[in-house]
Amino acid sequence: MPRGITPRLNICHMYPDLLNLYGDRGNIMAYRMRCLWREIEVAIHQVNIGDSVDFDRMDFIFLGGGSDREQSLMAADLAEKAGALEQAIEGGVPVLAICGGYQLLGKYYKTLTGDIIPGLGILDLYTDGGETRLIGNVAVEVELGGIRQTITGFENHSGRTCLGKLDPLGKVMAGHGNNGRDGMEGARYKNVICSYLHGPLLPKNPFVTDYLIACAVKRKWSIPLKPLDDSIEMSANSVMLKRLLGP
Amino acid sequence: MKKARLFIALITAKLLVFLIRLLGRGKGTSLPGSIALKIYPGLISDLSSRVRKGVIVVTGTNGKTTTNNMIARILEAGGGRVLINREGANLINGVAAAFAREMNFLNSRAFDYACLEVDEAAFPGVASRVRPCCVVITNFFRDQLDRYGELDRTIALVRNALKEMEGTRLVLNADDPLVAQLGRSTGLQSVFYGVAEHGGVTRQGAAAREAKFCPFCGHELAYRYYQYSQLGSYSCPGCDFSRPDPDVEGTSPRRGGSFTQCRVRFRQGSAVSLEVPVYGMYNLYNALAAYATTLLLDMDPQKAAGFLKGYRPATGRMERFDYRGKPVYLNLVKNPTGFNEGIGALVEMSGADLNVMIAINDNDADGRDISWLWDVDFEILADCQERIREFVCSGYRAEEMALRLKYAGILTSRLVVEGDFNEAVSRVLGGGAGKTCILATYTALWPVERILSGYAKRDHTPAEHLPHVS
Repeated sequence: MPRGITPRLNICHMYPDLLNLYGDRGNIMAYRMRCLWREIEVAIHQVNIGDSVDFDRMDFIFLGGGSDREQSLMAADLAEKAGALEQAIEGGVPVLAICGGYQLLGKYYKTLTGDIIPGLGILDLYTDGGETRLIGNVAVEVELGGIRQTITGFENHSGRTCLGKLDPLGKVMAGHGNNGRDGMEGARYKNVICSYLHGPLLPKNPFVTDYLIACAVKRKWSIPLKPLDDSIEMSANSVMLKRLLGP
Repeated sequence: MKKARLFIALITAKLLVFLIRLLGRGKGTSLPGSIALKIYPGLISDLSSRVRKGVIVVTGTNGKTTTNNMIARILEAGGGRVLINREGANLINGVAAAFAREMNFLNSRAFDYACLEVDEAAFPGVASRVRPCCVVITNFFRDQLDRYGELDRTIALVRNALKEMEGTRLVLNADDPLVAQLGRSTGLQSVFYGVAEHGGVTRQGAAAREAKFCPFCGHELAYRYYQYSQLGSYSCPGCDFSRPDPDVEGTSPRRGGSFTQCRVRFRQGSAVSLEVPVYGMYNLYNALAAYATTLLLDMDPQKAAGFLKGYRPATGRMERFDYRGKPVYLNLVKNPTGFNEGIGALVEMSGADLNVMIAINDNDADGRDISWLWDVDFEILADCQERIREFVCSGYRAEEMALRLKYAGILTSRLVVEGDFNEAVSRVLGGGAGKTCILATYTALWPVERILSGYAKRDHTPAEHLPHVS
């Protein structure tokens, strides 16, 4: 990094007023803290309904999930921004989409009664409504940036998501994942990570956070990320893995 | 035949309660009810129809136990015989157990009222059996989402159950739009309670707000001020939904050393002064809910206020202990709003340094999903962490609690992970600070309380009560 320049990342938190279920704001907290601990500054841009946003200027975009009603309000607003978001994604801007946000990036959501709710159509995936909710702790084996780890989280969704020509985020070791059938969880496309995992995902799985930060940093500077002491994170992870997968 | 079944169900339940207590396996608040219902499914409706003046049901997210106990206190002090599911056993089995324990086959123990606190998810099942004369709804916040799906669904569950009722009167929190909407959407006769604008209100909403949008037309609600969370003075710019004018309204609330005081205006233009020996805005709401309910039941306003002053917090909910001359506070936490209130009280605690223990379990009764810890504003604690010597994290999810505090900005040198309750309690008590505060989720509270009472004396002098949250 050139001397005298403080690196600064722009984080885009989509609809924090609406999509604030299940502690998903923890993802923003984790991203921010892991930057600050490395002396990388962050500016958080909260985008709510009606706000304009320049996705191309962003270094990380976070899209969470909400309850049904709030999700539909959000979807209508985001539809107007879909073109710009797609362009940013194609350009390599890192994105994390959780649960409802994940479903929305796909082609459609088909409800139990057969109604089709169109998605933004950015990613090659679709979701069918399910009779039961898939709920519980999850362990998923993930490989990111050459590191293979088993991540943990908590899923709570009724939609069953199927991927087209897309890689999953990882392989389900315990829990249901995308649809409870194919053993896959989440999706990846360019620098986009999609997942059903609440918990939230990033604080519990710091190597995913660091991967997203590294993607953002790499687009601007050529600096390696300083390693951090993750002993608390790792012990939380191993307690849950022991419970789910045995010793 | 029905009578024989009722007889057997009652005998079995009473025997089980006796055995469970004899064996020291708890208070017998649930299992006897579940067995009794299996023997005679009509148990609750049969027994509740014997209650002479009526059944009162209290539901909502926070404040159920406190509000219900306050209502029972006023009615009892007024000379009524009251049946209550006192231990917070608020699912259908707990309600069945309360009836089976308190009533006998010959009906020689007559009750004037039954005061039941009922879990939101269990509300439809219980309400259709007990046919309440009066339903009190405190507030709706997020709680144990993995069990109920989403908050909207919980509210719909309660609303649909209410629509099936006839002649039931509602006591509703005017300041919570999620609750107040039920007056119109159910068409039932409703009485509203609330707190008027005062010096402590804020103009800006908090992060953990539940409802931003009008339940009738979907427009964003406009607020004049907030009390806390989504409670406040709201109106919809899109339709005519707004905060109803409260029938019972607390004005100019004031906090004393161990009590909360306010003036209460009620419809007829009269006013009384109300004093309750509890602490915090949300307990004032609980008191107003109880007060409005008893006025609805034709209690004399002056007398009801006097009886409320004699209310004492329930056992196990925010209790003060004494450990070698220093106070130890034990507080139940179960959702973001309640946890934030607990943290607020902890920060306000006057005096010297603190030791803090937080015990998080993730059994069904706690909520298996602990994501909600990230909706709690632990960042407030980080701002005053020099005053806190150590945070001892315990319970099945001790590590996750430590993780949450780390990302709130608390130095890892202040964090101790000790999953075992015995070790954790002994560590936090040995911390040497002037005050100790223990916060625990539901299934962690009981073992921690048991261990704590081995070390420390229960302190019954109401000196500086922390909020008890439920």
